[in-house]
Amino acid sequence: MDMLLEALASLLTFESVITVLVGVSAGLFIGAMPGLTATMALAVLLPFTFSMEALQGLMALGGVYMGSIYGGAFTAILINTPGTPSSIATTFDGYPMARQGRAYEAIAAATIASVAGGIVGVIFLLVLAPPLARWAVAFGPSEMFWVAMLGLTLVASLSSDSLLKGLLGGCIGILLSTIGVSPVGGESRFIFGYPPLQGGIELIVALIGLFVIPELLTMAAEGRGALPGQTELRKKEVSILSIVRHIFGKPINLIRSCLIGQIIAIIPGAGGNVTSLVAYNEARRFSRDPRSFGKGNVDGVVASESSNNVMVAGSMVPLLTLGIPGAPPDAIILGVLLMHGLRPGLDLFTESGVLTNGFILSMGMAALLLLPVGLLGGRLIHRVVIRTPYYFLVPSIAMVTILGTFALRNSLLDVGIMLILGTAGYFLRLIGIQPAPIVLGLILGGIAEEGYVQTLMAAVVDPIPWLRLLHNPLSMVLAGMVVLGAATTLVPLWLARKGLLDRVEEDDGRSP
Amino acid sequence: MILRLNTDIAAGTVGLVFAAVLWLPREEIGRLSIIFPRAILVLLCLIAVALIVKGVIRPGGRQVEITGSPRRLFTVIAGFFLWWGLVQVLGFLVTTLIAFFALTWYLARVETRVTWQRLLRWMPVILGLVIVFYLTFKEVLNVRLPTGLLF
Repeated sequence: MDMLLEALASLLTFESVITVLVGVSAGLFIGAMPGLTATMALAVLLPFTFSMEALQGLMALGGVYMGSIYGGAFTAILINTPGTPSSIATTFDGYPMARQGRAYEAIAAATIASVAGGIVGVIFLLVLAPPLARWAVAFGPSEMFWVAMLGLTLVASLSSDSLLKGLLGGCIGILLSTIGVSPVGGESRFIFGYPPLQGGIELIVALIGLFVIPELLTMAAEGRGALPGQTELRKKEVSILSIVRHIFGKPINLIRSCLIGQIIAIIPGAGGNVTSLVAYNEARRFSRDPRSFGKGNVDGVVASESSNNVMVAGSMVPLLTLGIPGAPPDAIILGVLLMHGLRPGLDLFTESGVLTNGFILSMGMAALLLLPVGLLGGRLIHRVVIRTPYYFLVPSIAMVTILGTFALRNSLLDVGIMLILGTAGYFLRLIGIQPAPIVLGLILGGIAEEGYVQTLMAAVVDPIPWLRLLHNPLSMVLAGMVVLGAATTLVPLWLARKGLLDRVEEDDGRSP
Repeated sequence: MILRLNTDIAAGTVGLVFAAVLWLPREEIGRLSIIFPRAILVLLCLIAVALIVKGVIRPGGRQVEITGSPRRLFTVIAGFFLWWGLVQVLGFLVTTLIAFFALTWYLARVETRVTWQRLLRWMPVILGLVIVFYLTFKEVLNVRLPTGLLF
């Protein structure tokens, strides 16, 4: 509690508020651009936090994350194009509302739902993370190996159409993590006689490459022009107070969506798009008037936007406790934590408790700041986004990624690795190997290797050493969960049966 | 552009090629350092073979689509690598200015004819953007950006 109060005190300074405000605005700006995801927003803006203190940098990135997820709603509502994948379900009712001249109502509802969702996510994170971190201390090497495998299996099964391709991507990521000096044996591996590779592949370099470069290449190849500005953000006869009354007067939709958001957020790899689709579907199922969904029902916007903003803080539960990112943008946050010498686990809530709590609370502040930034600055941001031609956007983002990658270790080799991984990532995506499992393999490779090698070292006298990986009930449970996790490939099939995936594909097809 | 390609077999082949790249030139590495990568390499090969078998029996996808212009795609890829390569020779500032102008000109041609007058109108915007980022990283963030013939 003392740490929480201390963290709160460090947060309530002019400098902190400005940092979060700038982060939210920048995130909102990038998130509002179709094709630019929250991961991309974090990757592009990351270099600007290098010179900041650990807490200030994390606060800025927390604000960027929150702002970019919310920013996706703007284009989803105004031009039927989700700014980020998390806003897919927002288009279902947001755009029909905009066409009916209720764009402002939809934006205001999305804003209020995002604020509520963001705050609920922060509360969940504050409540769930510390006990889970204490529990994680009981994990030995074999358990950590299975935890890494579990994260990888879930991401592999959820982020790819094919489990095998997801696992293949995960293995490629793990092998990329083994390039350089071995954490256990201390020898150089897979450096092909080129000493600069001893430093290995920096996580953030891979993240920028795999998530940003393929998007830039797609934009360049498609020659996407400036977006049509046919929908104006007009304020019609509707007051904020009436929208607040509508959302909080019957809060069951909001509560259900937040709970769904939190539960899915804890599953690594599920991400905001799954969260918002499931929450939207449940809102429609439980509604008294399900037929009005898809035709401009404000509850659809509330369900989608509240659940995807719960995910921002909620997905950090596995990240801060076990080091497993709940969603791709969390991987960037993990990179920043590691850059500042902070390792996920109990230490984050004890030794670095003030910093961790400060970061969590700053996300709450970011959620609150969505209200003024979204409602007051939204119109300006929308206008800028609509008018920025893509031929300025592509070189600008490329310049920032090159600068950011170089600045990490003052290494041009890193820039080359980033470009090679990004180009490879583009073509791998074409054949169904998504970047998320590769990145998670890269993150979890180290954890898995330490767990695996330490377990086998302890089992050197056993007749079958690898059976030591299953020597206690907890390991067996985790191994069982790995198998169960693979079964989550059934989730997309379930969504397809409900007819939701068809709608997503339709929307993707319409994207310019 | 749509290419006829069995994506399962392609993914499996990529896995096997990647495994071979790491496996074949293996230096003398101690047991503790190689035990884990070796296990993952074996796993990767098994998954890759399973994908190839699946691709033969029941293929998941039979075509891939490069949306937009493949020519523009490969030109931009080449442009990015050229940008990277020239940074060491010309320095960050000069290379980025050239690359930014070239990319903007090339991509803008998709929508409209780019005249010299238009390029001149863009000049202050591009110069401003590049110089602001250059100075921010060099002076504020204290990053030692590569220098070349001029800067």
